[in-house]
Amino acid sequence: MIRQLSTALLCSVISLPSQAVFAQEKLQVVASFSIIGDFAQKVGGDLIELRTLVGPNGDAHVYEPRPADAIALAGADVVLNNGLEFEGFLDRLITASATKAEIVTLSDGIETREEPGGGHYHFIDGQAVFHAGAYDPHAWQSVANAKIYVENIVEAFCAADAASCEAYTAAGNTYLGELDDLHAQILESVAALPEHRRTVVVAHNAFGYFEGEYGIHFISPQGVSTESEASAADVAGLIRDIRDQNAGAIFSENIADTRLIDQIAAEAGLPISGVLYSDALSGPDGAAPSYIAMMQHNAQVITAGLAAD
Amino acid sequence: MLRYLAYSTALGLVLSGGALAQEHDHHHDATDVTLYRVFVGDHADAKVTAFDLDQPANRWTFDTTGQSKLYTVDNGGAVVAVQSDDDAVTFFQSGISLHAHGDHSDISVSDPAAIEDTLTGPRPFHLIDHAGKVVINFDRGGYAAIIDAHELSHGELESTQLQQARAHHGYAAPIGDLWVTSVASDAPVEGDAAPSRIGLQAVNADGTPAGDVATCTAIHGEAFSGAYLATGCAEGVLTVTDGADGPVMEMLEYPSDLPAGQSTGTLLGSKAMQVFLGNYGANGLVVVDPVDEPHFRYIELPFRRVDFALDPANARYGYVLTEDGSLHQLDMLQAQITQSVRVTEPYSMDGHWNDARPRIAMAGDELVMSDPNAGLVRRISTETLEEVGTIDVDGQPYNIAVAGGSGVDHGAEGGDHDHDGHSHDHGHDHGDEAHDHDHAHAHGDEAHDHGHDHAHGHDHNDQVYQGYFEDSQIADRTLADWEGDWQSVYPLLQDGTLDPVMEHKAEAGTMTADEYRAYYDVGYRTDVDRITIAGDTFIFYASGEPMEARYEADGYEVLTYEKGNRGVRFIFEKVEGDEAAPQFVQFSDHAIAPQDAHHFHLYWGDDRAALLEELTNWPTYYPSELSAAEVVEEMLAH
Repeated sequence: MIRQLSTALLCSVISLPSQAVFAQEKLQVVASFSIIGDFAQKVGGDLIELRTLVGPNGDAHVYEPRPADAIALAGADVVLNNGLEFEGFLDRLITASATKAEIVTLSDGIETREEPGGGHYHFIDGQAVFHAGAYDPHAWQSVANAKIYVENIVEAFCAADAASCEAYTAAGNTYLGELDDLHAQILESVAALPEHRRTVVVAHNAFGYFEGEYGIHFISPQGVSTESEASAADVAGLIRDIRDQNAGAIFSENIADTRLIDQIAAEAGLPISGVLYSDALSGPDGAAPSYIAMMQHNAQVITAGLAAD
Repeated sequence: MLRYLAYSTALGLVLSGGALAQEHDHHHDATDVTLYRVFVGDHADAKVTAFDLDQPANRWTFDTTGQSKLYTVDNGGAVVAVQSDDDAVTFFQSGISLHAHGDHSDISVSDPAAIEDTLTGPRPFHLIDHAGKVVINFDRGGYAAIIDAHELSHGELESTQLQQARAHHGYAAPIGDLWVTSVASDAPVEGDAAPSRIGLQAVNADGTPAGDVATCTAIHGEAFSGAYLATGCAEGVLTVTDGADGPVMEMLEYPSDLPAGQSTGTLLGSKAMQVFLGNYGANGLVVVDPVDEPHFRYIELPFRRVDFALDPANARYGYVLTEDGSLHQLDMLQAQITQSVRVTEPYSMDGHWNDARPRIAMAGDELVMSDPNAGLVRRISTETLEEVGTIDVDGQPYNIAVAGGSGVDHGAEGGDHDHDGHSHDHGHDHGDEAHDHDHAHAHGDEAHDHGHDHAHGHDHNDQVYQGYFEDSQIADRTLADWEGDWQSVYPLLQDGTLDPVMEHKAEAGTMTADEYRAYYDVGYRTDVDRITIAGDTFIFYASGEPMEARYEADGYEVLTYEKGNRGVRFIFEKVEGDEAAPQFVQFSDHAIAPQDAHHFHLYWGDDRAALLEELTNWPTYYPSELSAAEVVEEMLAH
């Protein structure tokens, strides 16, 4: 069942003209990006018709909303988004679509983490792009938070489609159980690492919640002060931090180009130990086609990188 | 000391002279303002008329060299009048500047003004406003002039040239760190016939090629939307994105279901959704989606097209005027006409393209249309498509452009439009209203191109600095942010060291240097010359006498100033230490979340609530390691 549903998710980037002919008995759901899309499919199964706006390996931060997205929103019953200023494109799309859908913010109810420098960097086309915000939006990097997302989805689907509430609740509970197992697995794999091997390097500081939950310390270029230009990440400072904190591994990311992380790795004298998935799932043939696969992959890559002393 | 503390309860973190001036500026009330200012070029006479849409009696007329095609640039901060037949370009400050501040925009209003410097050169024509640059092609000069858009809004004309291999009717546009330019055939031509145009090429800033020529026969018309530049060709629409290794070009060929033998030569780009609207033949339009198929959706018009526009406020809608005098509302999502209304007498498209016919432009929830034969500008509601008013304009009103929007005017005083001198340092602007709005709302999620992102990061911080932010942006701070050894700047004010700073403020501000000095004399006054903060321990040196105590965090309070901007006081309470040390200290600086302070205002005293009321005395501290000259330098830099 679960495997089938995840296949359905991956095929869920629906072409635009078909939207109009969907049988209307299915709950029409729009998810802002791939990880939320996976959660929605796990809960909704074949009771929902899902469209995911920012697809596999896509960066919501630089997403350009398209006419087809506005059309999907116009026809939606429920729109699922992360919140915490993650999907900057969504408001204008909602205006253009004039949608009547319930806009559900899945991070409601989590314990938010502050952004230490008032934001974090993305790395696109060789440039550091500052994403300002008071809170770290990448809450799904803790499985405990992912469970809150899933609970919020169950509640939203039940509110929009009371007749199928029982099915949503049952599917949600099954999935929540799998998330509990996943959480335990990650804790276990980190616990097996030597105490002094807990620090890694990423370019895009998207793993604060992973750090809080699982005790791996991530270092990355820091946010800007209000008095400096946001154009250049503090790479030199990062190199110092890597040496001072004896970081054990460095990772690239699926949503970012590797130029900057290549430079950091070369200057720090560390090899790149693999690819982490932060803000998006992989395609169906990739290492992280679902949220659970993504978290397993990240934990495995991180612990393997740190184990290789 | 104790007595002094008793009445100097308040403290603010000193941020910048600008921020202080705002707090001080109590006689100005903040007012919600919506203002659209319309610029109209006459068809026959060399003049541009500007008027405020709601108060057309506020009217200004400017002489030009010839007939003007008008463009608003830099988010409406400036207007450019391109006079192709007279080899001249004139620039205006619109007098309206809009700055996004999170949940609202600030608007400041003054009279429009012609910028003294102009550009002259052989046949200026197409204009592009993108990534902080205004680029005007000189069709017979073989170059494009590149103008700093932001400087233009401030009345300064700073321009450079991008050289093209051969002069032609074309354009150049910035794509990432490089440029693209249209390219003319190098085949010889008879007399002064224009060379044919063959394609688009990436070039470096010095005009040398940075890539091959992508075929785009008879290239004409260009627009930006989202991550794309789109340009019309005989074969289709060529799209350009900024790739990792320079511009990436892709031809979207016209599909076979479009009427044959026609093409797109004019394009508009939506500001809020990644989509273009282009002409296609004389009585058609195409909605061009650069990503999803179908890339082209054709809209057949009942008559030949006169002019068309996109709604920046709601990406769903576009508008087109046809020669029968009808205005049609287009649904960009459905690619169809949703409403049609007769708005003027017919204007036949027979004759020359530049004959006097109406032009349309958007102004918030209205569309404005010049009606040259009637000598009017007509105002049409986008909600009802009904005419809501007309404005008489002498002569033959023709080309039209609109600057303005909605915002909060912090300098409004009755009907007086004087610029109050409080200037926002807003970094680079994007040159389009809708982006700014969304970006501001999204706090950094905008990302239309990477240049924009940078600009926004800067803007975002600036708006926090100026006291505009949302509660969700505020976060607790620890004393680590203020750890260090700090000197009061009050002695520097007293001994004249800060005189150059006061002179500088007087040049930019509303008071004389002496008045500023008096103002800061009250603001900076303190006998605590030095404060050290290490861990949770403060040592205050009052007239040289140390006083030590430990403090713990006691939350923060958000203050709203009369100007409408806000500040956050981060409060710490004494837990143990010298009796004379204040029970509370309150840091106030522009930062609203953890970050190291570079200088600060500190309020202290024993009454937490009373301290929050204090707004006039805010002892100010800079790092002790800075020399007097370095403090001056720091202050001048803000």
